[in-house]
Amino acid sequence: MQQGDEDKKRSLGGELIIPVAAIVFTLYYFTTIVDSPWTAQVSAFFVGAVLIALSAAFVIRCAVEVRSGKADLGLGDLFSRADITSGRLTLLGVTLGYILFIEWAGFTITTFVFLFVGMLALNRGRGPGLIAVLAAVMAFGGYLLFILAFDTRFPRGPFETFMKAVLGDGI
Amino acid sequence: MESNLDLFGPLFLHTLSFWWVIVPTIFLGLIVGAIPGFSAANTIIILLPLTLVMEVEVGLVFMVALYCSSRMGAGIPAILVNIPGTAGAAATPLDGYPMARAGRGQQALAMSFVASTLGGLLTTIVALVSMPVLAEVGYYMHSVEMIVVMLFGISLIASIAARDTLKGLIAGFFGLMIGAIGTDVVYATPRGTFGFLELYDGVPLIPALVGLFAVSEAFIIIEKDSILTERGRESMRSTSWAATFEGIAIAFKHWWHIVWTSLIGLVIGVIPGAGASIASFVAYQQSRTYSKTPELYGTGHPAGLIAPESANNGVTSGTLVPLLVIGIPGGATAAIMLIVMQYHGIDFGPSLFQERPEIGYGMFMAMAVTYFFMILTILPLSRYMSRVTMVRTVYLAPLIISFTLVGAFVPREYMFDMYIGLAFGIIGYIARKTGYHVAAILIGVILGPLLETYFLRALKKSEGDIMTLFSSNLGNVLWVMLAISLLTPVYLDRRRRKAAAAAEKT
Repeated sequence: MQQGDEDKKRSLGGELIIPVAAIVFTLYYFTTIVDSPWTAQVSAFFVGAVLIALSAAFVIRCAVEVRSGKADLGLGDLFSRADITSGRLTLLGVTLGYILFIEWAGFTITTFVFLFVGMLALNRGRGPGLIAVLAAVMAFGGYLLFILAFDTRFPRGPFETFMKAVLGDGI
Repeated sequence: MESNLDLFGPLFLHTLSFWWVIVPTIFLGLIVGAIPGFSAANTIIILLPLTLVMEVEVGLVFMVALYCSSRMGAGIPAILVNIPGTAGAAATPLDGYPMARAGRGQQALAMSFVASTLGGLLTTIVALVSMPVLAEVGYYMHSVEMIVVMLFGISLIASIAARDTLKGLIAGFFGLMIGAIGTDVVYATPRGTFGFLELYDGVPLIPALVGLFAVSEAFIIIEKDSILTERGRESMRSTSWAATFEGIAIAFKHWWHIVWTSLIGLVIGVIPGAGASIASFVAYQQSRTYSKTPELYGTGHPAGLIAPESANNGVTSGTLVPLLVIGIPGGATAAIMLIVMQYHGIDFGPSLFQERPEIGYGMFMAMAVTYFFMILTILPLSRYMSRVTMVRTVYLAPLIISFTLVGAFVPREYMFDMYIGLAFGIIGYIARKTGYHVAAILIGVILGPLLETYFLRALKKSEGDIMTLFSSNLGNVLWVMLAISLLTPVYLDRRRRKAAAAAEKT
């Protein structure tokens, strides 16, 4: 019975992240406008004051629930071991790498590497051949559609420069 | 400026002769609408040199067709993978995605397409015949009235997150605060920018949209092998053309719903700056408020999908009204149309409809013809596009991240915007995992700068008197309507509970 009651407890730690972040950001925002003209302050003070009041009300509500034993301050399933086993953390790392490298490696090469590594990590290393083909098709397809056909302003790198020289159409 | 009905027949046939522009543009629009970062406005900007050298009529038909079809395209990823192609489709996944997860993606797409095309077609016709009256709406909307309209949008946040109104409000106001990042409109004082020059212009909307919806969703869906539920997977395996026809039939059954929610979109679209995102949420909220089964909303209810899709297509017709009648664009795409028309030396106002009816009325006719052709795309698109939901998440998630994050880069060409997309992705992930609605944050980000602009304008005009917010008759009527829209769901909910309690007793 007691175990059952324990299971029913809500974990409020995770739910507090957004309100606490909102309060911290609002206070930081206020520090940047404290010496500004009233036109820069009025709307932000209005919105910020309401946001702090709402967040404070939520924090108080959580405190009451924790105190009454209906909830605890655990993070629930926000961060868990599954983040590592599911490949979520790896995907986050690869995503960061994607943004870091796309500037100089260009869209096509970086997308191919990102898709290959990302899919392989999520698929726990299985089917590298299929994933390599899929990543190549998607990256090259993206190049054909967005850069060659629509001339979209995607980041360009060695591959795009090479193709530009080969095609010679000044893309 | 009276509508010349004798003109419409020949003009419709004349516009049909532009099928060779309209048909390929529909497919282009569906693609650019479906990919976050590739809105109709961005695509028209990219193709602006081409549009300028086209004959003016062809150029305008092209822009109008792209505008309409991209609006419908934005609903496709919103339904299938919970990622709206544009902010205007942010309310679409509320009921569209649960349908897709249950293996009813094909039906949902068919419903969405019917609602979009019929809603768009109907509002185009209404706009065409009632343009002089509709144009008046724009004249009466001053800063005070606009503040109330904005607050209308914010109040919806509470009702969207009906399970916990407080969390809904926190998410919305957090979004408003994030939307206030950037320099102030009068003295250009930087505020809340963390020292980043790239944030001086405010938080860019596309990276916010991409992060909150696409990136966060990609990190969530990898928990399971498929976005479909077990039942949904079985249902998708046995799906056939019948599902598409069933979706169409369901949409037609809700014809009255399409009519009134698309008219909400039309009226909101006429108000410059209000836009499709507000219209779709207003329509969703109103639809739920007056529904006999409000508890089904959010679980894959057809009316919850039809309402926002009809409304955001109604906005498309509405934004053209102030553009053509008074030369004030109702949105970004309409603003680009204005530039193209000015480039060709076309004057706006009543004279446009007398001297160049093929342009004035022709733009609405192009819209009607586009929707007419779009109806023909419903069958094959819904049948095959819904297959996306069958793709395993190990392949889908990296694809979503790469193609949407790079889309965040496109509008401003700042590498920084990709980082913003990732940051919003993390915020969105935490929000989704802890029960805060990402759509509420996004609405806040959209409305933040607008609310501040109108707030300042109203205060400046009144020399700082806050009571100016209650100084206009129309504004006061809107305040009352706002209060009614907030209180009605509470009242109806109480009445239903009482009725249920009474039924239990007997």
